[in-house]
Amino acid sequence: MAQSLIDSIRNSSLKNKIFVSTTAVILLISVLIAVFVRWVLITTLTSELKQRGLGIAYSIAESSRGFILTKNIPQLTSLVFNARLGARRELVGYVFISGKQGQVLAHTYISQFPADLDQANPIAPEDDQNIKLLNNIGDAVYDIAVAVNEGIYRIGSVHVGLYKKHIDQLISKLRTTFLGFVSAATILFFIISHALSKYITRPIAELTKVSDEISRGNFDIRPDFIQEIQQSGVEDEVRQLSSSFLNMTERIKESRRKLQESENKYRSLFAGGPNPILVIDRQTLTILSANPSAEETYGYTQEELVGRPITDLGPIELNDPNRANPGGLRPGRICTVNSKVAYQKKNGETIYVNVHACPASYQGNEALIVATTDITAMLEKDSQLIQASKMTTLGEMSAGIAHELNQPLNAIKMGSEFLEMMVERGTPVTEQDLHQVVGEISSQVDRAANIIRRLRDFGRKADFSKEPIRINDPIRSVMDLIGRQLNLQDIDVQLQLMEDLPPILAHHNRIEQVIFNLLTNARDAINLKDESGAKGFRRCIAVKSYRQADRVAVEVADTGIGIEPADRERIFEAFFTTKKMGEGMGLGLSITRGIVEDYGGRIFIQSIQGRGTTCNLSFPAVTQP
Amino acid sequence: MINKCMLIWILALTVLSCDTSHERQNATLHPPGVTDDRIRIGSSLALGGHAGYLGTQTLHGAMAFIHHVNAQGGIHGRTIEVIAYDDGYDPPRCVANTQKLIVADKVFALFCYVGTPTTVKILPLVEEARIPVVGMFTGANALREPPNPYLINVRASYYQETDAAVRYLVGERKLSRVAVFYQYDAYGFDGLKGTEIALRRFGLAPAATGTYIRGTLDVQDGLEKIMASRAEAVVMIGTYEPCARFIRLAHAKHFSPIFYNVSFVGADKLARLLGHIDATIIITQVVPPPEVSGKGSRVWGIRQYVKLLQQYFPDDQPNFVSLEGYINAEVLVEGLKRAGRQLDRDKFIRAIESIHQLDLGIDNLISFSSRDHQGLERVYFTYLKNGKFIWRNH
Repeated sequence: MAQSLIDSIRNSSLKNKIFVSTTAVILLISVLIAVFVRWVLITTLTSELKQRGLGIAYSIAESSRGFILTKNIPQLTSLVFNARLGARRELVGYVFISGKQGQVLAHTYISQFPADLDQANPIAPEDDQNIKLLNNIGDAVYDIAVAVNEGIYRIGSVHVGLYKKHIDQLISKLRTTFLGFVSAATILFFIISHALSKYITRPIAELTKVSDEISRGNFDIRPDFIQEIQQSGVEDEVRQLSSSFLNMTERIKESRRKLQESENKYRSLFAGGPNPILVIDRQTLTILSANPSAEETYGYTQEELVGRPITDLGPIELNDPNRANPGGLRPGRICTVNSKVAYQKKNGETIYVNVHACPASYQGNEALIVATTDITAMLEKDSQLIQASKMTTLGEMSAGIAHELNQPLNAIKMGSEFLEMMVERGTPVTEQDLHQVVGEISSQVDRAANIIRRLRDFGRKADFSKEPIRINDPIRSVMDLIGRQLNLQDIDVQLQLMEDLPPILAHHNRIEQVIFNLLTNARDAINLKDESGAKGFRRCIAVKSYRQADRVAVEVADTGIGIEPADRERIFEAFFTTKKMGEGMGLGLSITRGIVEDYGGRIFIQSIQGRGTTCNLSFPAVTQP
Repeated sequence: MINKCMLIWILALTVLSCDTSHERQNATLHPPGVTDDRIRIGSSLALGGHAGYLGTQTLHGAMAFIHHVNAQGGIHGRTIEVIAYDDGYDPPRCVANTQKLIVADKVFALFCYVGTPTTVKILPLVEEARIPVVGMFTGANALREPPNPYLINVRASYYQETDAAVRYLVGERKLSRVAVFYQYDAYGFDGLKGTEIALRRFGLAPAATGTYIRGTLDVQDGLEKIMASRAEAVVMIGTYEPCARFIRLAHAKHFSPIFYNVSFVGADKLARLLGHIDATIIITQVVPPPEVSGKGSRVWGIRQYVKLLQQYFPDDQPNFVSLEGYINAEVLVEGLKRAGRQLDRDKFIRAIESIHQLDLGIDNLISFSSRDHQGLERVYFTYLKNGKFIWRNH
């Protein structure tokens, strides 16, 4: 019972707590005071009134002495009636004077003097006074008896009867007055505590209401009462609370607004950006959201995309070892870049994309924001450029290739003329000779055909898919095409190719182009050095392939003119050339670097002016063939 | 929650303040002093001593009428028995007598009390015993204000007497120095107060005051004080002996203001004491002069008084005092008559209150009401001429 009461108080509102506790304290104090005052009143009033009675009795005794001695009954009667005059009648029930033998000389009764009253409260011979509560004469009365002495002998006694009722009435009156006062005070405190609790709790209740509204997202409510409190000019805790609440609300509003702005900004970036952006779950890799560009690019609708694993579109390599540990990923940091990855459209068409993935939090999930930049068109352009460059190279090579082709053709011509001459002379051709000539012709045709095949291979446009190739193969192919030509130009080409090199991921055709470019540059450098008037130097190009840790490297070194320091910075720029107008477009090295870097390769060029240039290429090796 | 607390609080209040007060029940089934053939009435008055003349004459006047009524067969079959004790104009004795009358003699009502100091003293007893008192030979204001339900006054008050006198002295005679000589007790104070109130209406105050002690004739000091003020008039609130001495002494000292006395002085006795004196002495009376010259039909009551007094108290001369006693007895009898056979004290009071414009043949109608316990209002002026007080018609 008590426990449940305490619980219900504990669980009640703050207002009720304040109210109930204040009220309880007031009630307790009131009751205690009432009880205490009652006790104090009864004891003090009773003794006070007895003292008063004694005072009356003594004064009567003093006045009556002479009249008792002279037996002046009228004077005694007058005396006792005088003692009961006015308001005293309420207090004094009776007064009587007894004589020496106890006979009643005078009394205030206007009816028969009660029997036994004169003997009811005798005074002991050794005492001067006696007080006794009498209950048997109607109203309860304190009989206050005082002796009247002449000298040392008693000549009579005075009895004053005090109504106990009067004392009780007095007490009751005081008590009523007091209780009235206490009740008034209590009611006042009721009201005050009520108002106080309301004053304290109303702002709290209002703040709670406002907080609820805010948590529901309604920021537009006007906390009128806060304004009231603010305007009231009272400097107390309630005002502090309300003003700090007001500040908080303003801050929240402000930050909400900023967040909204920022979100709108990023949403427009997300929605209006040209690149397809997908939000995927970091663990399951399913698509959580996609922007319109993604829909457009991949041909799926938003509904089709969401819930689909991204691997349906294309591979994603999360090469971050901490993928399983999201703590290691920091939002806003791109952790994964896959370039030139083939992705499938809905209609099966392949596009090439660069994949940027960065971790983010999306609707409470650990997510990755994957931007797949469509680079298909760019790759197309690249390959067109490369092709154009290749064609230029082919054009440059055409003289050499023509010469190359001329040799077998000449050999065939010579063989066929020998045979014709023999036929015209009628000289029989020996079986051995014929066999030798025909064999020679046939091998020369093969040789020419091989040149043409290689030429055709070189000119073919490569597709985008990389394949593992051996670096020595394209080197040899290029040497087949232009080796002889270089020899004819009195350039010594030294091949130092390491066998058993691991493969690299690249295109044979493109690597050929790279090697070709480097070799033609080396050749040109040697020729330029020659033209510059240098004499007696070795015209030599050294081509080496070797392994460099987990990479495969190729080195092309010439003894040419070298590169001027001023030009060294610019040699990879597109359309930069040192050659004469019409001899080159200036795209060679630029394209070369583009190709090399496409395969994850690196290119370094070291050059000492007048001494030669060394080109260093390196590609990551495919560790598992 | 609030309601619950309120309820608890109210309960607490109720419990703490519950108080037992029971009305004192004092039902008298048989009214005291009334038997089948008798109504006992008590009186305490001065039958001897320095005011003995007043008490004796009052009683004689009253008894003249009561004997007459008893002789006629009483009231509703009951005769009136009057127990009269002498108090010698001494308040303590009056109180003792009254207690004796109430407790021992169990009288129905009190009657014909004489004197202010005496009558005032019995008021607490009257109130406690709830006993009617009819016809007090005093005009004290204390018996009129505040209204006391058990007191039936017949005569006009001292305030009315002194007011009339001051009006005459100041208003008509244009005197401005009025002194007051009074008996140093409740009676004298009452007259002094009445005079002061009346003088104040004219913007005046007593020129001087002098006193004497009741039962003494020590008027010398008072006289000297008043003479020193060269008063043109002296209002005297006393009994016949001291007042006569005062006047004689003043006269002997050739101090001759207008001497004015209130009715209680006992006009006839005063006149006898003074004899033929060359002084202007006025007395206000509350009853008409008993010696009626004319045979006017309006004063048939006075003629009857003279006749009855002659019949029952042949030694007495008709006088103002016994006439007042006679009229008091008439009011008592009228009340008892009106109360009927089923008599009790409250009924008797109501019966008196029902008296309205009653003509007792004294050229003055008598009226009571529940708010007005004084029957007569009129004040008569008399002046001393040739050793007798004569109705001064003005």
